[in-house]
Amino acid sequence: MTGQSTFSFLRTFSDKKGIVLGIILLLLLFLVGSVLVEGFNSINNLRSILLLASFLGIAALGQTLVALLGGLDLSIPFVIGAANILLAYLFGTNIPPILCIMIIALMGLILGLLNGFLSFRLQGQALIMTLGVGFGIVGAAQIFTTVGSQYSGTVFSDVPQWFANIASINGKIFGASVPPVVVLWFVMSLITVLIMNKTKIGREFYAIGGNRTAASRLQISEFKMWLTAYGTSGLTASLTGMLLLGFSGGGFADVGEGFLFTTVAAVVVGGTSLLGGTGGYGATIIGVLVLQVLTSVLVGLGLNYAAQQTVFGLLILPMVALYARSPHIRLQI
Amino acid sequence: MFSHEKYKHLYIPAALVTILLIICAFRAPQLFTSVGLAGAILVSAPLILASIAITPIAMAGRGGVDLSIGPAIGFVNVTIVTFLVGLELQSPLAVFSYAIVVGCIWQLLLAAMIVFLRVSPILVSLSGFLILQGVNLTILPRPGGFAPDWLSDWGYGTELNSPVLYVLLSAFLLWYLFCRTPLYESMRLLGSDERTAYTSGVKINLVRFSAHIVAGIYTGLAAVCLTGLIGSGDPSQGNTYTLQAITALVLGGTSLAGGNGGALGSILGALAMFLIFVVLSSFNFGAISGFMTELTYGLILVISLLLTIFTGRIVWEKNS
Repeated sequence: MTGQSTFSFLRTFSDKKGIVLGIILLLLLFLVGSVLVEGFNSINNLRSILLLASFLGIAALGQTLVALLGGLDLSIPFVIGAANILLAYLFGTNIPPILCIMIIALMGLILGLLNGFLSFRLQGQALIMTLGVGFGIVGAAQIFTTVGSQYSGTVFSDVPQWFANIASINGKIFGASVPPVVVLWFVMSLITVLIMNKTKIGREFYAIGGNRTAASRLQISEFKMWLTAYGTSGLTASLTGMLLLGFSGGGFADVGEGFLFTTVAAVVVGGTSLLGGTGGYGATIIGVLVLQVLTSVLVGLGLNYAAQQTVFGLLILPMVALYARSPHIRLQI
Repeated sequence: MFSHEKYKHLYIPAALVTILLIICAFRAPQLFTSVGLAGAILVSAPLILASIAITPIAMAGRGGVDLSIGPAIGFVNVTIVTFLVGLELQSPLAVFSYAIVVGCIWQLLLAAMIVFLRVSPILVSLSGFLILQGVNLTILPRPGGFAPDWLSDWGYGTELNSPVLYVLLSAFLLWYLFCRTPLYESMRLLGSDERTAYTSGVKINLVRFSAHIVAGIYTGLAAVCLTGLIGSGDPSQGNTYTLQAITALVLGGTSLAGGNGGALGSILGALAMFLIFVVLSSFNFGAISGFMTELTYGLILVISLLLTIFTGRIVWEKNS
C-alpha cells in the first residue's frame, strides 16, 4: 500500500512540477528574447506571438483531452486541412457564411466522433485509426473541391471581411487592437479549465486516465468519455482550420501539416503525460506559449525553420524526462 | 504454439495482395513483364525495407511506433551524397557499411532514451523525427548531389536480375534467420507482456536494444535503396516514409499493442500499398489521382484495423 500512496503522491507532485517548470521556462525565454532580440517586447511582436499561439492552442485543446485518456489524435492536421479548403469552397457558393461555418464545425465534430467510435475497441492502435480517418478525409475533401476546378489542392474564393478580421494580425475587437481569435482562445481556455476542474464530467476524465478499472467500478462510462474527447478534438481541429483560412485568405490542404507534431509537443511540454490521467489544459496553455515564444526567439535570432524543428525536438525529451517518466518495471509488478 | 495461430495476422494482408494482383492482371498487365517487375521491385524496395525496420520495434511493445524512421532514412541518404561522396568513399562496401552503422547508431540512441530515460517510445521517436528533419535540411537545404555511379545505375530499373533484388533477398534471409533465434521469442514475449517477460528472467533491456539494432540494419538498407532509386540526395523525400511505413506495418497485421506480427506481414503490407498505387494509376483520375491514393490508403487502413476486431487477433491492452 505504501508503494501505491508514494506513487500517487509522486503523480500529484509531478503534475504541479510540469506547470512550475513550464512557467520558469517561459520567463527564461522572455528574458533571453528581450536581451538578444531587438524589439522582442514590442506590442507588435507580442500580438503576433499571441495570435499564432491561439491557433495552436485551440488545436491542442482536443489533443489534451485525448491525451488525458491515454490516446493520441493524429487526424488533427488533416481535419485542419480539410476544414480549411472546404470552408473556402463553401464561401464560394451562395450559402450564407454563418451557415458555412456551422456546416464545417459540424463536420469536424462528426469526424471526431467517428474517430472515437472506430478506435474505442482498438485503443492500442487509436493513433493509427485516427491517421487512417485523417488520410481519408483530406483525400475526400480535395477530390470534392478539385472536381470541376482547374486548380488542384488549392481553393480560391472571397473570405468575408468580418471573418478575416477574427484571425488577422490587424484584427480588432470592440475597437481594441487585439485579434478577436486571441479573445476566443482565452474564453475557450477558461471554459475548458473550469469544466475539467469543477464539473463531474471533467473529473471523470482524470478518473479514467488514472485507472480504468477503478473508474468503471464507479459506473463511469469509458465509451462516453472517449467519444467526448475525440469529438472535441475534431471540433477544435475544424475550428483551427477555419480560423487559418481567415488568417491566410486562401484554402490550402497542407495548412495543417505543422500541427501534426506541434499539438503533441505542446501537450507534452506543458506536462500532460501521454500515459493519461495527469496534466490538463492549463498545462497545455503553458506548453503552447513556451513553443510560440521559443519560435519567436529562434526566428529573431535568425534561425530557419529547419533549425527551429531541431530545437523543438531537443526540447521535448528533457522536458518529458523531468516529469513524465514511467516507473521502473520493478515497480509495475 | 500452433503454427497456424502464429500466421493468423497474415490472412487479411495476403487476401488484400491477392485481390490487388488479380485487379492488376486486368488493369495493368505490364506489371507482369520482366521490365514491369524490375520497376516494381526498385520502387517498392525502400518502403518494404522501411516497414520491416519498424516491425521489431512495434513487436517489442510499449506502443513503440518509430516515427523517426523517415527522417532517419533521409539522414543516411543526404549524408551519403554529401559526406561520403565528399570523402571519396564510394565503394559499395563503404556505402553499405556506412548506412548500416549509422542506422544502428541512430536506433541505439533511441533505445537508450527509451530504456534509461523511461520516456514513452512514441515521444522519443517524435523528438527524433523533429531533430533529424531539421538536421537533414541543414545538411542539404534542397534536393541535389549525386549518388555514387554504381548506385545511380540502380535507378534505371530495367533488369529483373538487379542488385536491388539481391538486397531484398538478403534482407528477407536475415529476417528468417533472426526469427530462428531465441532472441526473437523473447522479443515477442516482451511485447505481449513486459511484466511476465521481466519476471521470467528475460533481460528486457538487452532484448529492446537488440530489436532496435535489427531496425537499424533495415533502416540503413532502406536508405541505400532510396538513394539508388532517386540517384541523389533529398532532405524531405525520406520523411514521407514515416507514415507510409506505419501504414504498411498496420496493413500487414502487426499489432501496435506489441507481441504480434512479423516482417512477412509488413512486406505484404508494403506490397499492397504499391499495388494500390498501381491500380489507381491505371485509372485516369487526372488532377485528383494523388487525392484518390490518399483516400484509398485511409479507407483501407481503417477497414483493415476494424477487421482485426473480428478476426480476434487483437491483443487487449493491459490496464492496471
